This record gives sequence, C-alpha cells and structure tokens, in this order.
Amino acid sequence: MNLALASSPASVESARTQPAIQVSNLSIVFDTKRGQIIAVDRVSFDVAPGEFVCIAGPSGCGKSTVLNTIAGLEVPFEGEILVEGAPVYSPRPDVGMVFQQPHLFPWKSVRSNIAHGPRMLGKSTTEAYAIADDLIAMVGLKRFADAYPNTLSGGMQQRVAIARALANQPRVLLMDEPFGALDAQTRAVMQDNLLALRDRIKATIVFVTHDIDEAIVLADRVLIMSAGPGRILREVAVKLPRPRSSSVMVEPAYLSLKKDCLDVIRAEGLRAFNQSDAD
Amino acid sequence: MEIATRAAMQEATSAGRDIAIRTGGRARRPNSVRLRRLNILVGALSLPLFIGLWELVSRSGTVNMVLFPPPTVVAAAVLEWIRSGQFFSDLLASLFRVTTGFIIGGALGILLGVLTGQFPLISSLLSPLFHILRPIPPIAFVPIVILWFGLSEAGKLFLVVWGVFFTVWLSTHIGVQKVDRGLIRAALMLGTPRRQMLQEIVLLGALPYIVVGLRTAVSISFYTLVAAELAGAFAGIVYRIEIAQQNLQTGQVMGGLAALGLISFIADRLFAALAERIVWWR
Repeated sequence: MNLALASSPASVESARTQPAIQVSNLSIVFDTKRGQIIAVDRVSFDVAPGEFVCIAGPSGCGKSTVLNTIAGLEVPFEGEILVEGAPVYSPRPDVGMVFQQPHLFPWKSVRSNIAHGPRMLGKSTTEAYAIADDLIAMVGLKRFADAYPNTLSGGMQQRVAIARALANQPRVLLMDEPFGALDAQTRAVMQDNLLALRDRIKATIVFVTHDIDEAIVLADRVLIMSAGPGRILREVAVKLPRPRSSSVMVEPAYLSLKKDCLDVIRAEGLRAFNQSDAD
Repeated sequence: MEIATRAAMQEATSAGRDIAIRTGGRARRPNSVRLRRLNILVGALSLPLFIGLWELVSRSGTVNMVLFPPPTVVAAAVLEWIRSGQFFSDLLASLFRVTTGFIIGGALGILLGVLTGQFPLISSLLSPLFHILRPIPPIAFVPIVILWFGLSEAGKLFLVVWGVFFTVWLSTHIGVQKVDRGLIRAALMLGTPRRQMLQEIVLLGALPYIVVGLRTAVSISFYTLVAAELAGAFAGIVYRIEIAQQNLQTGQVMGGLAALGLISFIADRLFAALAERIVWWR
C-alpha cells in the first residue's frame, strides 16, 4: 500500500480548495419518552483537507452524534453534510471510523480484521493481507498478526481498530473518543502514536473527546461544544509546532491555549448551572 | 455438598496464604496439594462405594431382590444383552433416531432462527406460533403422532425433531438478535454490503448462542427418544427396557437405564469438546 508521506498539515491557505467536510446547519432531534429532545442545534463548520479537528465538550453535548452523522450512521433532522463535496446518506468506504470501543470482529485474527475492509471493497485475499501486514507494521503489532482480539490489551485492540479503519485508505478518518476507555499512561502513548501516524497518512481527521488536553495536543483546531442543546461555543486554532508529542503539554504556549479553552468551558458551565437553578 | 467442599478448600487455601505471608511462601503448597489429592481419592472411590452399598442392601434380605437386583445381577443381564447381539441392534436403532432427529431439527432450528432473528416481518409471522407450540412437552404429542404415523420410524423422528427444533430455533433467534450492534456499525463503516452482513457478521456473532442451543438439544433429543420408543418400537434401548419390564427382568431394566445414561453422557461430552472447536476464537 502506498502510504505516502503527508502533504504539509493543511491550514488556512488550503481553505480556497474544497473543504473535506462541510457541516451546515446540522440539527439532530431524538424522540424520547419525554418528547423530542434537540441533541444538536444548528451546528456548522468546515474541515479543510488534511486538517486535524478535535470536537471537545462535556458528555451529552451531541459531539458523538455529530460524528455519527458525518459517518452516515445517523440521519440529520435538518441541515446538510458534504464529504469531499458529496452528500452523506449512508456509510461510505472513503470515510473511516474508530469507535470508543474497538469493536474488533472476535472471530478474526488481527490480520483478518484489518484485511476485512479491503476484502469487502473487492480486493483479493492476497492483496488485502498485504495491505494488512503493512498497517500491522505501522502500528507495531507484528508479533500479534495472528492473535485473536480477546488476547490483546485494550490499547493494542484500539491500535488494531485504527489500522483497520485505515486499511481502506479513507479520505476522512472519524474518531469517537477512541482513547476514552484506556488508562492514562496508555492514552498518552496512543496519542503520540496517533500524532506520528498522522504525519504518514493523508486523511483528514475529526476526533471527538471530552478531554481538553487531548484535544489541544492532537488538533490543528479545537471546536468547543456546549450541552443541551449541542452547539459550538468557540473555535480555537492550535498553532503549536509539528511534529508534536504529548510533551508539548508543559510549554507556555500550550498552557495559555488551555487557559482560553477552560475559561470558555467554565463560563458555559456556570451559565448552564444558573439556568438549571432558575428552572 | 460440592459447595461445602469448595468453601472448605477456599478457606484452607486462604489460611495457607496467611501462613505463606508469614513464612515466606513455603507453607501454602503442601496443604493445598494434600487437599487436592484427597478430593481425587474421594472422587475415585465414589462409584465403587455406591455400587458396593447397593450390592449389600440388595443381598441383605431387607428388600425384594427381584425388584431391586444387585449390581452383579444387572451386570450379568447386560452381558447377556450384549452376547445375544440385541444390544448393538438396539443401540444402532436408538442412535439413528437421535442423530437423524438432531440433525434435521438442528438444521431447521438454525435456518428459521436466522430468518426470524434477522427479518422482523418473518418474526412477526412465525414467532407467535412458535412461542405457543414451544412450551408443549414433546411427550404430549405421542398420541397424535401414533395417529398420524402409526409405529413407523417417521413418527419417532418427528418427536425428536420437534424437541430439538424449538430449543435450537430460540437460541439462534436470540443469538442473531443479540449480535453486537457495534460490530455491525464497524462492518458498515468498512464497506460491508448489507446483503453480506449475514455471512460476515451475524452468523458468526450468533454462533456461541447457536452452539449452546445445540448442546441443550443433545439432552433433549434423548428425552424425546424415550417418549418415541415408549410409544411403540421394534428395537431400541428404551424399547428393550420396556420389554424387560413386562417380563419382570429388573436387571435388564436397570442395565438399560445405565446404558441410556452412559450414551447420553458420552454424547454430551463429545458435543462439548466439539463446541470448543466450533467457536474457535475463544
């Protein structure tokens, strides 16, 4: 497989070209027993090709719902989503997804799990296995190529899930709190792995997390969402140098960014608290 | 009793652990090894003890030896059964009914379980009917089976198939419904076409449930075999038990029971071993 070195991280200059993802006026409404609940309220944003965007926000703010809608797993109530200029109606092979749980097929070895996507897209088993072996090397699991998922640790399982999502060479990679279920140490290692990986693949990445540190370490841009109903509060551009690693977390530039983000979140939290008190 | 033994063992090992902490890990092992050896010894003595007691009680004169023959008499009856050649024809007849019924009932159960589990419309059509028929004990069908099939093999197969089918159908249906939605979503994101979802994800996801259903059905096929052969047959283990009962050959009756228990035990063990290979990723 040709995993060419990445084009330079996309930035404002590439805004002139077509955005990889366009979300316009997206609203999502859930039917519950208590009536309809607006999960996401008129959310709009663009993601440039090759850009790494994190959506950060408290649980229940609809950030995962937004991601699922981009993936085509959920249908918008209102608004439109374009990926590479084409509207999304259902899952597409050029959009890959990594979930919070690895969701590996337990009956397939690591290699067969990763080869699943290419095989479904019509590649021969030999070709699919060749793609899988490249990715297995890339995520550092050569020794475990023939292992079954239940014999792997949580971090290793999630590395397999990432490799599996990359096997179809998606233009867009969606990640839904992929490290949320891991312990703090493993999570830091996984973040560094992802940053290194990201420099080798061309995909545009949208990464959902509730961890503001994770968002700043990884992203070119952080979208901070608020809950009830889900809206985008603020957009924070992260201009920290790349290549980056989690060690960036002690630098002054990082800390001031984090302070900005926390201020926004605190103000919103206070507002929500006062509002619920007034109800 | 087993629970009591296990609790005793746990107590013993935890006591051993306390000592181990104090003495640097030397005291624990001999203690638990001795306990394990004792358990094996008691286990090995269990059957001989029971049979010896049976022999004593039977020959003590306190019970009627014709109705409660000692194990030696039972063994003689079994040997005679084997020597006459009838044992093997009985065994074959019974095994044929059980395996054929199991295979037909199992295949139908899996097929319809996948259909009702996967397609809500088919489930709406068939599930109410199946849920009404399922709780009826297969033995209750003996009279109507005799009316429909007489004493033919078809009637006996019908009973076994009936018993096996509902168990396998239900477990397959539940297995298909319980397939992890996350796996389906992951497969969708990887470009798995919906029409390939069944073979790629659903069947394998349901496989552990199907195997459990099949294993339960192994015992059920033996239950229904009893009903089928009591309803009238010309060969078979249970048929032989019934004939022996009519001739007051109690030894033969007990030998037949033992044979039935042994065969059904072996079948269950074989299937358990097979099941581990069927669900290969565990």
